[in-house]
Amino acid sequence: MTGRVIVITSGKGGVGKTTTSANIGTALAKSGHKVVLIDTDLGLRNLDLLLGLENRIVYTIVDVIEERCKLKQALVKDKKNPNLQLLAAAQTRDKTAVNADQLKEICDTLKEENDFVLVDCPAGIEQGFQNAVAGASEAVVVTTPEMSAIRDADRIIGLLNTKEEITSVKLLLNRVRPNLIKSNEMMSVDDVVGILEIPLVGIIPEDTGIITSTNKGEPIVNDENALAGKAYRNVAERILGEEVPFLDLDEPKGIMAKIKNAIAKLKVKV
Amino acid sequence: MLMEKSLVENGFIIDLSNIQNTSQLVFELSSIMEHPEVKGKNICLKLGSLDLKQSQLLSIKALVESMNASLALIDTISEQTQASAVSLGIMTETISTDINPDFVPQAKEEIEYKKESVVEKSESIATSTGYNEENKTIEVHADIELPADPIETAEGIEDIYDEMSTEEVSEVIPSENYETNTFDSLAASEGLLPTEEVSKYILLDTGNVLPEGISENSVSTGTLPTLYLNQTLRSGQTVNFEGNILIIGDAHPGSEIVAGGDITVWGILGGIAHAGCNGNITSKVRALKLNAIQLRIAGLYARRNDTLNVPYVQKSDEFTPEEALIEDGKIVIYKKLRRD
Repeated sequence: MTGRVIVITSGKGGVGKTTTSANIGTALAKSGHKVVLIDTDLGLRNLDLLLGLENRIVYTIVDVIEERCKLKQALVKDKKNPNLQLLAAAQTRDKTAVNADQLKEICDTLKEENDFVLVDCPAGIEQGFQNAVAGASEAVVVTTPEMSAIRDADRIIGLLNTKEEITSVKLLLNRVRPNLIKSNEMMSVDDVVGILEIPLVGIIPEDTGIITSTNKGEPIVNDENALAGKAYRNVAERILGEEVPFLDLDEPKGIMAKIKNAIAKLKVKV
Repeated sequence: MLMEKSLVENGFIIDLSNIQNTSQLVFELSSIMEHPEVKGKNICLKLGSLDLKQSQLLSIKALVESMNASLALIDTISEQTQASAVSLGIMTETISTDINPDFVPQAKEEIEYKKESVVEKSESIATSTGYNEENKTIEVHADIELPADPIETAEGIEDIYDEMSTEEVSEVIPSENYETNTFDSLAASEGLLPTEEVSKYILLDTGNVLPEGISENSVSTGTLPTLYLNQTLRSGQTVNFEGNILIIGDAHPGSEIVAGGDITVWGILGGIAHAGCNGNITSKVRALKLNAIQLRIAGLYARRNDTLNVPYVQKSDEFTPEEALIEDGKIVIYKKLRRD
């Protein structure tokens, strides 16, 4: 079995790489696939927090590379889903503790026994980025509909295109607020896709539930009711090759949302 | 069963150690409690090996209190009874293990004297109540007797301390046991008790993860050098020292403290703490607030329970100092309970 190694990257920080990694990983594992998440953000690790696994980490990726433990020992199983495993980053080291060849080797080993290896990339385009993309054959570029994030995403896509190993680069648009798009205060999905010119793999609406889910260490895909959770489940299905229509974010669900929406519409008219 | 005047101030020892079931215990105790001499006294109850649940002990306590007396101390060899007493805030002790060897030579002489005086007193009671003198045992308590009235002066405590001794004092106490036992007895007297949240930390199934070539040892951490740090440890920072580490400040989540001996944090411990990294199983981790995401002592690793949804760095003015140590191959947390 040879699994797929997908790097999740963005260039800019704070657009939701780690949240995306945790949620796609969890969604893929829920659909019965074996998934390993690798946190390559050495010194600024967060992925373990989002999954609520911080207290279980004994060995990190640096321990594996410096041969203080075996790769299998360093994999932390998820609380709920044994299909999902995490290889944590070392918090007390920096990006220079690892090099691209070592990371490639780890990815190559892991993909033999897993369906998916998702690599959570650190922000920036330096060593950390180079390490993270080394073993990958596919990339998901996360961006938000803001000029700065899109500029950085554009830069990243350019860098990814120079890597021969990476055959597929897809766009995930995060923190979309349909109301703002309607009132022309936010770039629309079409605008962003028009600028970046890569295929879209998902649109994730802004959801305050993300904040609580991050604090609780519980990915939002486990919440059946959350819209963002549904969007992430759809992304996982698209990664698995299914054709899933994009969520219609325009249609508000609750009565309050309907009223808010009506007010927003009024404002546009005025 | 026998009733004696205790050496504790205004106290009474009631020896019910030969009783094997609860109903008999309650019956005997209630008949003794009716005796006018017992009223208003601090009762020291000797229970032998009888296992009592917390609820049972609570009803016994209520029985004692209904007679205008108070249950001051319980002497038992049953672990369950001990645990129940601890959870009810009643002092406990097992005489054979709690003696500080330093006091032995002096204490022995004391015993002879005390024995006589106690015999005299108990004789008079025994005759008056008709109990058999031959069953008599002398109870002297090694522990510092806490006065019922907390405002009692240090002088009073000292007096009681002098009386500490027992016939079994000569029993040799291994020095390692002594270390932990002192803590236990101190813990009992100071209200430092095993926390009821037994599941605050859960052992990781990593087994014993000592590095190769290092074996378990129990060198006294008091002999090791100590590193004194007056700073806050932030995420990503590590302190590594072969001896003890003392930090005046917080250790934030993401930080790591690795010591050959004890770790003491005068502040909030939120990161990873590894005491006795060279296999020293007597090492301890203490903090004003023990919130460590992982606790490691020698080769044992424990993670904080997921169900405890404590913010990692919780700022507050109220602190409950806690101490983690290895007991019976497990990491146990002792905390100081608030006395309301």
